[in-house]
Amino acid sequence: MHIPEGALVSLLGARGSGKTTLLRLAAGLNAVSSGRLTWNGVAVVGPSLQRGVVFQDYALFPWLSVVDNIEIAIAKAKPTVRKAERLVEAGQYLRDLGLETAIGKYPGELSGGMRQRAAIARALALGSPLLLLDEPFGALDPVNRARLQDLLLEVWELARPRKTIVFVTHDVDEAIYLGDRLIVLGSSPGRVIADLAVPLERPRERRSLLDSHSLHGLREQVAATLLEDTLQRLKAA
Amino acid sequence: MSDYIALAKQELSVTPIPAASIEPGAAPGRLSHALESVSVWIVLLLFWAVASVHLPQGENPLLPSPVITAQALWESLPDLWAGTLSSLAILIPGFALATLLGVVSGLTVGTSSRLQRVFLPFAQVAGPVPPTVYIPYAIAILPTFKLSAIFVVFIGAFWPIFQNSVAGANALEQRYRDNARILGLTRFEYQRRVVFPAALPHIFTGMAVGLAFSFILLTVAELFGANAGLGRFVQYYADFADYPRMVAGILYTGLVTFLAMTLLDAVRRRALFWLQ
Repeated sequence: MHIPEGALVSLLGARGSGKTTLLRLAAGLNAVSSGRLTWNGVAVVGPSLQRGVVFQDYALFPWLSVVDNIEIAIAKAKPTVRKAERLVEAGQYLRDLGLETAIGKYPGELSGGMRQRAAIARALALGSPLLLLDEPFGALDPVNRARLQDLLLEVWELARPRKTIVFVTHDVDEAIYLGDRLIVLGSSPGRVIADLAVPLERPRERRSLLDSHSLHGLREQVAATLLEDTLQRLKAA
Repeated sequence: MSDYIALAKQELSVTPIPAASIEPGAAPGRLSHALESVSVWIVLLLFWAVASVHLPQGENPLLPSPVITAQALWESLPDLWAGTLSSLAILIPGFALATLLGVVSGLTVGTSSRLQRVFLPFAQVAGPVPPTVYIPYAIAILPTFKLSAIFVVFIGAFWPIFQNSVAGANALEQRYRDNARILGLTRFEYQRRVVFPAALPHIFTGMAVGLAFSFILLTVAELFGANAGLGRFVQYYADFADYPRMVAGILYTGLVTFLAMTLLDAVRRRALFWLQ
């Protein structure tokens, strides 16, 4: 599997298909036991600021205010910048993600959607060219989920140079709506059962997309692949 | 007070159910809640007053009446205040040192599996030793009584704080550890900005146990060789069979302990405001 620079790749799979493990390997949080994993030609041996991660559970530090949670990331990314300037920059990231009212608050005071916005702000503040997102919107209600998907696309499309994003999800529509490319993991963990291009124009319009034929075709193709995989596993069992 | 929900152009009225009808027999005012919480005190005080009068006691009653005790307390206040200062001069340094060393060493050990293998077996043996047994030896070894008492208070408060700090560091959630690694925090930053705040609930539990121990050890140590202090005050008047002053000293010491624990709890609430 090769992920080119600047791509937005959706990693789709059922629970237990190893998509989170794959993401943790890419982040350097888990060690590779066999096979090869490289980043810009160099083997991944541990975490790096080059690869930001947003987890499915809200992993902001609850004892730091939202702005301090962002500031700590900037402090690591740009150690020479003075604290006052770092705080200003942190506030800017939060404003960009629509969190101007949450700057001085603590994560426990925020809704799930706002916390996840702050988590994305922190990942952006790290300045990593690669973002690894592990079901970041999995715990959100449909409205917030759609909003944050659009926000993510907006942030990604505006950034120059474009960040590379690996987006892990088990939601087929989300995977298609966001990705340039769809990698489907099978139920025997760690096996790629499909690698499909998403032939949809950008910027994507949620409403017109819902009626588009290419979306329907793709969705059916993915569903058929997943079904076949499940049947094979049942046969094997 | 009522709100309306528009439902298919039909208005449904929503009226909150009064609390009293949810909990039958619940008292309506704050006054009665206050009465509930002081009722134990009132009953105990009445029992004390009745018992002190009706129990067959001699010239020098072992259970002096509340009024006599209150008088003794009032007259002893200057002595008791001096005793408080003398006791706090032992308690505060001992407890503060135990907190500092207990938290620093506990978090250091708690974040290293090797240090845990080295130190935890030792802590399991040394921790449960009742610190009171060190008192005579400490008094013999250290140059002044005050230093020995500080040492004993320190030992008593250290272990619960150390053990809870280790437990707090161990209980750190995986997601915060992952987060710290992704941010690339140095070991010191990790300790200070992640492990320490995450372990604070455990640390405060250890401090509360340690503070209660400190008071026990303080007063016991004062029985041995002090010439001032709260424990010494009680022992002194017990030796003279001055029971009103002795009981007053017991009550006063209880109050000081209660105030110290309340203060610690207030600090805990402030420090842990972020906890849901």
